[in-house]
Amino acid sequence: MNNVAIPILALGLIAGAFAVFSVAIASITGPKRYNRARVDAYECGIEPTPQPMGGGRIPVKYYLTAMLFIVFDIEIVFLYPWAVSFDSLGIFGLFEMFLFSASVLVVYAYVWRRGGLEWD
Amino acid sequence: MSSALIADITAPSVNYYMLAPILIVLGGAVLSVLVEAFYPRESRRSAQIALVLTTLVVAFLAVLNIKVDAILGFTIVNSLAIDGVSVFLQGLIILSALVGALLISENRIDPLGDAFAAQSSALPGSEDELAFTERGWYQTEIWSLFLFSVGGMLIFPIANDLLTLFVALEVMSLPLYLLVGMARRRRLLSQEAALKYFVLGAFSSAFMLYGSALVYGFANSVELGDIAKALSASAANSNLMLVGGIFILIGLLFKVGAAPFHQWTPDVYQGAPTAITAFMSAGTKVAAFGALLRVFYVALSGLAWDLSAVLWAIAIITMLVGTIIGVAQSDIKRMLAYSSIAHAGFLLLGVIAQSKAALDGSLFYLAGYAFTSLGAFAVVSLVRDASGEANHLGQWAGLGKRSPVIASVFTLFLLALAGIPLTSGFVGKFAVFAAAYEKGLAPLVVVAVIASAIAGFFYVRVIVLMFFTDASGDEVSVVVPSFATAAAITITAVVTIVLGVIPQPVFDLLSNALFLK
Amino acid sequence: MNKLIGAAQGLGAFGLDPLWLVALKAVGIFVILVLVTLITIIMERKVVSWMQMRVGPNRVGPGGSLQSLMDGVKLALKEEIIPRTADRAVYWLAPVIACVPAFMTFAVIPFGPEVSIFGTATPLQLTDFPVSVLYILAISSIGIYGIVLAGWSSGSTYALLGGLRSSAQMISYEIPMGLSFVAVFLYAGSISTSEIVAAQAGTWFIVLLLPSFIIYVMAMVGETNRAPFDLPEAEGELVGGFHTEYSSLKFALFFLAEYINMVTVSALATTLFLGGWRAPWPISLWESANTGWFPMIWFFGKISVFIFVFIWLRGTLPRLRYDQFMKFGWKVLLPVSIGWILIVATARASRNIAGFDTATTARWLLIPLTILLFISWIFEEVKNRRSKRDVELVEDEIAEFDPFAGVHPVPPLPGQVTKSEKSALQVEES
Repeated sequence: MNNVAIPILALGLIAGAFAVFSVAIASITGPKRYNRARVDAYECGIEPTPQPMGGGRIPVKYYLTAMLFIVFDIEIVFLYPWAVSFDSLGIFGLFEMFLFSASVLVVYAYVWRRGGLEWD
Repeated sequence: MSSALIADITAPSVNYYMLAPILIVLGGAVLSVLVEAFYPRESRRSAQIALVLTTLVVAFLAVLNIKVDAILGFTIVNSLAIDGVSVFLQGLIILSALVGALLISENRIDPLGDAFAAQSSALPGSEDELAFTERGWYQTEIWSLFLFSVGGMLIFPIANDLLTLFVALEVMSLPLYLLVGMARRRRLLSQEAALKYFVLGAFSSAFMLYGSALVYGFANSVELGDIAKALSASAANSNLMLVGGIFILIGLLFKVGAAPFHQWTPDVYQGAPTAITAFMSAGTKVAAFGALLRVFYVALSGLAWDLSAVLWAIAIITMLVGTIIGVAQSDIKRMLAYSSIAHAGFLLLGVIAQSKAALDGSLFYLAGYAFTSLGAFAVVSLVRDASGEANHLGQWAGLGKRSPVIASVFTLFLLALAGIPLTSGFVGKFAVFAAAYEKGLAPLVVVAVIASAIAGFFYVRVIVLMFFTDASGDEVSVVVPSFATAAAITITAVVTIVLGVIPQPVFDLLSNALFLK
Repeated sequence: MNKLIGAAQGLGAFGLDPLWLVALKAVGIFVILVLVTLITIIMERKVVSWMQMRVGPNRVGPGGSLQSLMDGVKLALKEEIIPRTADRAVYWLAPVIACVPAFMTFAVIPFGPEVSIFGTATPLQLTDFPVSVLYILAISSIGIYGIVLAGWSSGSTYALLGGLRSSAQMISYEIPMGLSFVAVFLYAGSISTSEIVAAQAGTWFIVLLLPSFIIYVMAMVGETNRAPFDLPEAEGELVGGFHTEYSSLKFALFFLAEYINMVTVSALATTLFLGGWRAPWPISLWESANTGWFPMIWFFGKISVFIFVFIWLRGTLPRLRYDQFMKFGWKVLLPVSIGWILIVATARASRNIAGFDTATTARWLLIPLTILLFISWIFEEVKNRRSKRDVELVEDEIAEFDPFAGVHPVPPLPGQVTKSEKSALQVEES
């Protein structure tokens, strides 16, 4: 079991080489015809709005979703090892996971009631 | 490979009885989140206050219960240690939290409501903020945050491995970062303080975590007892362990507010709502010193020789910074913050001395300081002008003539902070200094005494200002508080005197307070 | 514990291949994935055409079968456009980041049992280790970076919004997806793909854990940004979404990554719920169905069923609105998955500890569940009536709207009333 990672690296190398090659070759195979309008950001033909990057602000909803994701992803992180060794943990494992899920669901109920799950 | 690991897992035994105070407080915190979610807004505040006070009282009864039965030991795979020290500290933290909760519940002294922003998500100075304030809203989430923080504080000093220590540190600190930023008045200052506290706090926790990793590399375990064993087993102390130990200490010293890791203290104490400052100055200090004492007494005692130079330097710098810069302060909350830094320096003597007497002294000191500091900040919250609290020292001039009672009580707290006999501050200082002297730390004790004298100057200056100076003409008044704050001030004043006059019962209580190794 | 020891031997078969075999397998997987993608694209176009009573592509190659290959060549010959506002390095890197993880997830998918390749006995799987499903989740999350960075680095509003939407959508649906695996791990006692397939030698997990499977299928459609959940690329709202500004082979890489991801989630569903490479029931009676190279037929057969479902969904269902989509993920899939896990754990524990058989457990669980559902239905009904009443009670406090507030006059939105209209209303009232 000392080199289970080598095959993954091999596959990654092949895929990476393919992807980098494709990206690199694109500028050689394709034609080049400069056009000022073409290198503008696409906005259905109107003058593009100024840069959303850098100084642009992103709606707070996305941050909220990201934080909720972390809460539940961490729950999943705890659930996986628990599920694998469920049989050896016995009734203790069941009880503790009920407690744990209950406390996560309390947070969930709070977020729900406060409108954290609404998109409008 | 992993299959062997899986087969090894057995259900850990959990002594729910020993953990009862922690479980009650955290359970109360979860219930409080449910109250937030499902209670109608109008009755939410009173429900929260009732829930928090009940939780804390029941948790305190649970602590007393443990003491009576004297069941001591480790639980949850040795990650928590219940011993004499932890029972004492848990009781102390819960009592401080009770007084703190009384202060936080105050909504009579400010005509706009309690000390917290009506809706902390509204921009400071915006129309939204005005609208929420006019509607008389309360940010009731503070109660859930408060209970979670208390839960973290209860775990912090009893954590018996570095990972639990770290988790407890975060559970304790994260709610505090938020609470600090929620002041109703001077919100920008408050939010700035919260951000500073958060950034510096995260930085110091990172140090602690990195230190834990290094120590794990040396000792092959994160349990405090195993680290001590590894230290005594190895002939030459490795640099890995030394650096790791110092990093862990940095994390803990940040929380106790020792110089040069003290920069957050004045800003946070000044910016936070005063009730939160009071609670932090007591609860955080007790919890953090509890953890520092445990880590140092149980795990790092083998490193005492290597660390002594560092610790001596830190103790001396802390005492001097706290007192000398404290003299120059013109804001009452900043002054008390520097006073708390100086006290951290005095308490470090107890950490360095490493004896049973020093331990007892430190714990007594913590008990005395917690109540005195709570009381002092409670008084600060009462002295107000039209724009909120009158924190500038000049505004306190002549207060003794207008409100002799409040001025006298504040004088009592200042004298206790200065360590004048017949107050708890004196007994605590004496016990710690004496224990340090016995262990041959005479130079440190001399510095401590000098620092105390300098500190005495700025406490006395406030007293002189209150009683022997004429008012400058500012419209400053002492507001008549509700029952809660009055009770809090009474309790803390009584405890300060009682501990100063008859300290023996507490020392009797402490006689079997030892660290479980 | 016997099962665990057996599992150790099972995993012990991995990591022993000589290097030439590793290289051969890796190239094999790469080629298979590219081929499957080409086939999937042409299959999608054909199937959707048939569903819409059209013919579909039929000019290039026999029956149009080389159409997608020619499309790839055409893309390679198109001009590469990099917007002036783009962050060039990230813009360049994003398709690579999206594409490479898509290939790499296939490293731990089992195609079949142990076979002999040029005289060397080896499992038909590139590699495996005790936490390989976790590896799949981890690597596929890296793919999200490719999409977010593509949207961000383009320097275009549509692309940025598409990238943001996509990331929010993928992380939202990753939770039900992750939760649906828990029940499988619980029954298999392992997070390794080959052991999970081994654990399904008797009954497939789709039979035992049907709700988990259903949750997974819904989450996997959301994860791959496919219709009806293809909001990041909603052409009516966001032009092309995160790849609005991409052209030429860079665009082709995103296209490739999307289709490989479809194949990957289908393969994962097959592995976790449909017995992996094991032959379906009537065929499994034939003894050598599960030996040698035959299982690859069953495996790819199952995958193509999933692909067909993907295409069928696209041909049938209209796109969801973004708020409906998020609401479905967070308010329906998430609580249902957590509840289902707790039910499964209780059932498993009651079997382990009290020795209940499945029927008894089911009875004990179903009765309270039915009651619970009934109560929640009544609750919902009461709430609906109350909210209807509330709507009627809404006070008609109408905000006044000034059409000339900005530079250009604008008409009032629903709910807004201009000054003249309002005074007219008041006159009516008085």
